[in-house]
Amino acid sequence: MQVDTPQVLFKNRHLGRPATLAEYRAGGGYEALAATIGKRTPAEVLQLVLDADLRGRGGAGFPAGRKWQGVPTDHVGTRYVVVNTDEMEPGTFKDRILVNADPHLVIEGIVLCAYSIGASEGVFFIRPSYEGDAELIEQECRVAREHGYLGNNILGSDFSFDLHVHRSAGRYICGEASAQIKAISGLRPNPRKGGPRTAVKGLWDCPTIVNNLETLANLPGIVRNGPAWFKALARSATGSGTKLYSVSGQVARPGCYELPIGVTIREIIFEHAGGMAPGKTFKTVIPGGASTPFLPEALLDLEMDFDPMRAAGQRFGTASLMVFDQGTCLVGATLSLMEFFARESCGWCTPCREGIPAIRELLRRIEGGQGTEEHIQMLTDLLPVLDKAYCAFAPGAAEPVRGLLTHFMNEVNAHIVQKRCPFGNPPPTLRGKACGTRPIQFGPTPCPEDQCPI
Amino acid sequence: MSPLPTELETELARLVAAVPRPREAAVDVMYALQRHYGYLCDEAMHCAARVLGMTTLELESLATFYDYLYRRPVGRYVIHVCDSVVCWMFHQDSIFDYLCRTLGVPPGGTSEDGLFTVLPAACIGNCHNAPTMLINGRFYDRLTPERIDAVLAELRAGTEEPVRCK
Amino acid sequence: MPDLIIDGRAVSVPKGTMVIEAAERLGIMIPRFCWHKALGAAGACRMCAVMFTAGPVKGLEMSCMTPAADGMVVETFHPEAVAFRRSIIELLMVNHPHDCPVCDEGGHCLLQDETISGGHSLRRFPGRKRTYLDQNLGPFIQHEMNRCIHCYRCARFYQEYCGYRDFGPMQNANRVYFGRFDDGALENPFAGNLADLCPTGTLTDKPARFVSRRWDCLRAPSVCLHCSLGCNVTALSRYRRVARIEARENAAVNGSFICDRGRFSAGYEAIPERPRSARLDGNAVPAIEAETALAARLAALAEKHGPGSIAILGGLRSTMETQAAGIALAQAAGWRAPAFFATRTEQAATQAALAVLTPPRARSLAEIGKADAVLVLGVSPLFDAPMLALALRQASRAGAKIIVADPRPVALPLPFTHLPVPPRQFPAVLAVATGSPDAAAAAAQKRLPFAPELWPGLETAAKALAAAKRPALVFTPGLAAALPDDDRLGLFPVLAQASSAGAALLAPTDAPGLDELAADVAAGRVKGLVVVEADLFAAAPGLAAVLGKLDLLVVLDYLPTPTVAAAHIVLPTTTIFESGGILAASDGRLQAASPVQSPGDPVARDGAGSHPPRAFDRPLPGTDPAPAAFLLDRLARGLGLTLPREPLAALAAAIPALAGLDLAALPQDGLRPAFAGLAAPLPAPLPLSAESGLAVIYTDALFATDEPGRYAPLAQAQTQAGPPVLLLHADDAAALGLADGLADGLAVSLECGNRLVPATLHLSRAMARGVIVVPRVPDLAGLPPILGPCGLRRR
Ligand SMILES: Cc1cc2nc3c(=O)[nH]c(=O)nc-3n(C[C@H](O)[C@H](O)[C@H](O)COP(=O)(O)O)c2cc1C
Ligand code: SF4
Ligand code: FES
Repeated sequence: MQVDTPQVLFKNRHLGRPATLAEYRAGGGYEALAATIGKRTPAEVLQLVLDADLRGRGGAGFPAGRKWQGVPTDHVGTRYVVVNTDEMEPGTFKDRILVNADPHLVIEGIVLCAYSIGASEGVFFIRPSYEGDAELIEQECRVAREHGYLGNNILGSDFSFDLHVHRSAGRYICGEASAQIKAISGLRPNPRKGGPRTAVKGLWDCPTIVNNLETLANLPGIVRNGPAWFKALARSATGSGTKLYSVSGQVARPGCYELPIGVTIREIIFEHAGGMAPGKTFKTVIPGGASTPFLPEALLDLEMDFDPMRAAGQRFGTASLMVFDQGTCLVGATLSLMEFFARESCGWCTPCREGIPAIRELLRRIEGGQGTEEHIQMLTDLLPVLDKAYCAFAPGAAEPVRGLLTHFMNEVNAHIVQKRCPFGNPPPTLRGKACGTRPIQFGPTPCPEDQCPI
Repeated sequence: MSPLPTELETELARLVAAVPRPREAAVDVMYALQRHYGYLCDEAMHCAARVLGMTTLELESLATFYDYLYRRPVGRYVIHVCDSVVCWMFHQDSIFDYLCRTLGVPPGGTSEDGLFTVLPAACIGNCHNAPTMLINGRFYDRLTPERIDAVLAELRAGTEEPVRCK
Repeated sequence: MPDLIIDGRAVSVPKGTMVIEAAERLGIMIPRFCWHKALGAAGACRMCAVMFTAGPVKGLEMSCMTPAADGMVVETFHPEAVAFRRSIIELLMVNHPHDCPVCDEGGHCLLQDETISGGHSLRRFPGRKRTYLDQNLGPFIQHEMNRCIHCYRCARFYQEYCGYRDFGPMQNANRVYFGRFDDGALENPFAGNLADLCPTGTLTDKPARFVSRRWDCLRAPSVCLHCSLGCNVTALSRYRRVARIEARENAAVNGSFICDRGRFSAGYEAIPERPRSARLDGNAVPAIEAETALAARLAALAEKHGPGSIAILGGLRSTMETQAAGIALAQAAGWRAPAFFATRTEQAATQAALAVLTPPRARSLAEIGKADAVLVLGVSPLFDAPMLALALRQASRAGAKIIVADPRPVALPLPFTHLPVPPRQFPAVLAVATGSPDAAAAAAQKRLPFAPELWPGLETAAKALAAAKRPALVFTPGLAAALPDDDRLGLFPVLAQASSAGAALLAPTDAPGLDELAADVAAGRVKGLVVVEADLFAAAPGLAAVLGKLDLLVVLDYLPTPTVAAAHIVLPTTTIFESGGILAASDGRLQAASPVQSPGDPVARDGAGSHPPRAFDRPLPGTDPAPAAFLLDRLARGLGLTLPREPLAALAAAIPALAGLDLAALPQDGLRPAFAGLAAPLPAPLPLSAESGLAVIYTDALFATDEPGRYAPLAQAQTQAGPPVLLLHADDAAALGLADGLADGLAVSLECGNRLVPATLHLSRAMARGVIVVPRVPDLAGLPPILGPCGLRRR
């Protein structure tokens, strides 16, 4: 691993276990908080974040400071910070690694955010497969509370803020901010659109800021070292800060790497992740998590940053690079992604609830050698429908399909012409999936293959 | 309906009291009951409704929405096998098939000894260790048939009598 | 007022209007499934996509979620929008069964309409269809989940709009399922609306199944007869029976919905027991024979005892035409003034309840739904006027405080404060709640010193009403005299029956109460009685008890009541479904119903046993019933009298509130007369003293306590078998020695007139002290206002 890139978020990762409070403090931990509470006004903290141009690390890249500005200053009553640790985007595992490396960095970031927006309650929303991390955070919160970093009268000031963990029962859609608020409220996590933003009316109808965990973990650094330092961390002109890149797939060293915003994709894969796995040749990479399109080899020198990626028709997303080699069937890969999206949808709007399973069905046929030209037409027709779904879930699901049809049409055609998967994958309809965890008294009727009821 | 053990009642009351509105504890209460009964049987749903002041329909709305709440009997160990794209890339299907064959169950089924239920799962956030699976909160990395055999044997050895709900 | 252009036409709409609604104002119906006028936008179906070509929003957007804004240019026919909508239909049809011909929604299905109009007729999609198992949702709603397109209308209506929590969405993704936790009847008393709301055949009207295809039905606008609110309905008839009742939009009254009582209480028009032919001394005779005999007998009576010995009695479930004809006949013939109400006090109170509805103070039901604080006095909304509960729920959802003062235990699907006080304390409650909020605490202690548990609620009420911008009072007629004179407080009365308001409007001031009539009959001053559409055994047990003293009892009715059975002469009348007519709602609003079918036996019975061929030459059986007003007019002629051609119009011209109204052309929303206020302050009603016993409070149930509903088989089937259930406060029960042991569900008997009626006693703490709550069933009709100490005994 290259060590010359500054390690800000992963400063304590070398320990190979969660850093203790002492270890975190030894590296300057909680200094930002001490220098802030009672010494800076919340508005000053907000200004630092605005100046640092900290953009959300949860996928959408919305500037955090601008989001916080939406909190009405005249609100009387509770304000909430929700820490989004749902992280169910396939290919993404950075939040888990980060909590596990330095829980107090995360906690300090959360408290700084709370101070800036005047929140008194925080909810740490975490997915069920991260139960170990939920317990870790609960444990470290207790430690922080004992040391006056959390709870009543933080650091002896009159600022009080506490954090509790909310365990999800698992669905990708719970990562969407408004759905997450509903999930916390014990409602069905359908996203909400229209009406006031969550910054105005969120959890229990109070102003609520939902931020990704990594976004918040950047705050101690920004507050301690200033916006200029933060901006200088990035390598691209428009970017600021470092980013945790989750690299997985056919590379020699899959893992999570902290690198500047603006490194090229080529550098991530071929330097930091050690290049392709032995014997494998690069075919494509999904650069930003499952909701982003396949990236053709020609774009490998693209800078990993929000704006340049968008300009190139790509998406930064969660910066989760999934690398595919020449031996992997991309129709099959897209189908696997559609299985995921079809299963995880909340079922609210037609494009998502009906459209994604329709795409899945068409891809199953194509992968199984029963595809026709008409099916490709139908796929093409469905993409703009997905783009106009209720929330960003279905448009995200459309991206890999769009990438497939744009850059790898030859592979699709090969399936149709050869009437089988050229990579030798068995027809997907053969692997029936039925789930036994839902009541049978109402449908859908248990079915062998076309309706995976998971 | 048989009464719940006192400790569980206390635990449920604590969960409900810990949050601003009982609804917020819905998932936690269902988890707790699921741990007790092994899965969310109708009796568990009625208990949850009573504790939370919600209707069974409202709870069913949630229980059936989520992945990790089971409304039908499952084994002592629910094996969530990741079938998302990265694991898929590493021939996840053969892992899945291997598990099913070894345990003699269809996908979603529970092994005869009541120990294991095999479920395909959405990406569990362990892609760098693909292929992977999650059993009762523990990740199992870089699976191979041999490793699966070892894991199953280990779990079988360390199991006490499973809790069952009629 | 944003100005925008939709399909080349300019429209200006109030701020906050969504584009889909703005288009509707131009008569452009943008396709939709999830959006519904009453439920608002969900953005779920994506069917309403239109193209925004210029202005603040650009591109393809959902018209239901986009508020109209200045400068918008909208094209509903833009090729991209059309293609998008077509894709949505295609996606919805991927899993929708293609069996419209056997679907109960077929022919009036929004999905069918949009599929056809979108031009989707061939399936491209190769996959299989998703299937579900159905649930039994009780007697009213049929469930066929495979037809669901997941617009969420049902769930939003059920949970958000109505506030019931036993039906909703389950599962996720493409498995979402709308149903209950397990099989069972829907708890929501407005659940019938699901049949209207669901744009597909998923949730349909169960009793209407296998009765008729909807498009084969005759349809006519009608008005509900089952409480005093006057909700608008559409009656659908087939084979001479009412096949179904649907809600009819009236923005001022019921909005888009009706309650299940209104929807499922028809059927009385088709029961075999319905009087279908004239009867003379117990024998069926041709109508002409009965009418001739009737005229002769009445003439003879008048000859012998004077016309004042004849009285006519009108019902509270008749159209105003019928009521007016009765009045006109009585006047022309010189009979006693017609009686409608149980007592003169009740009549005066009902008249006063309408008179106070001056234009600044009158509120419609819809306006109650928009009030920001409502005090409900003496009304248990869900049972006395079910749609009022739904209106209160809407007010409450928007933040209104709701306070209900009623002796009965009150259940409502909304947060509210219940003040369980007996009726004699209503004036005190009213005075405190509408008085100064600062003095409320002291006033409450002074006026209700014995009920400290009520003080906080009263103070809340006073504060809420004082702080509100649009406060409203919902009240029973008895309180009209006690209402504070404050134009800020809107008023909305709830009356006893569907035509109470009509009777109050039309009844002459010297109309006797039924109690007086009973005394006159008992004393032999009245020898002949003409009863028009009323059941004396329910309305005036005292009168019913002395019927034997009459020389002549004539009954005109469409229900097989015991009064009909007791009559010397019976003339069958038509129901509102056959004759239509005008009804006045509880706020005095005049609304017209149209006839939808001819009288006559339903085909199912007519043909029974001789299924085709049938003889062609015989007259249609069961067609003797005629509108009561028509029969009364014929009777007048038989007596040599002439009634005005249109008795109602003639009568109305002389009534200040109605004078000048064109009753022949009532507007769509109905017409609320401008009332002038109380002419003279009413004497405050005598407070009933509590000490002597338990005040009797009659209460309605959702089904079959209203008179027509009692004869509706479906409504009747919803009632519980077994002895009537009485309710008593637990402390009162203890004082009466009825609370020991298994007192809840105690078998008791109730002294009713000279009978002992078996009943079951239930105890409650959510009700007033000093009262006994009694179901409104004919068996218990004759209770005294105060039940003496021995009136209730252990069985
Ligand atoms: C379908 C969907 C899933 C999402 N999942 C996550 C997630 O797992 N974690 C996350 O931080 N943000 C997720 N997001 C993004 C959130 O909606 C939101 O933008 C983010 O949490 C805001 O935090 P940020 O501004 O710090 O990125 C998701 C969005 C969508 C539409
Ligand atoms: S049942 Fe009807 S109303 Fe409910 S979601 Fe399905 S189609 Fe819509
Ligand atoms: S009507 Fe607009 S999305 Fe359904």
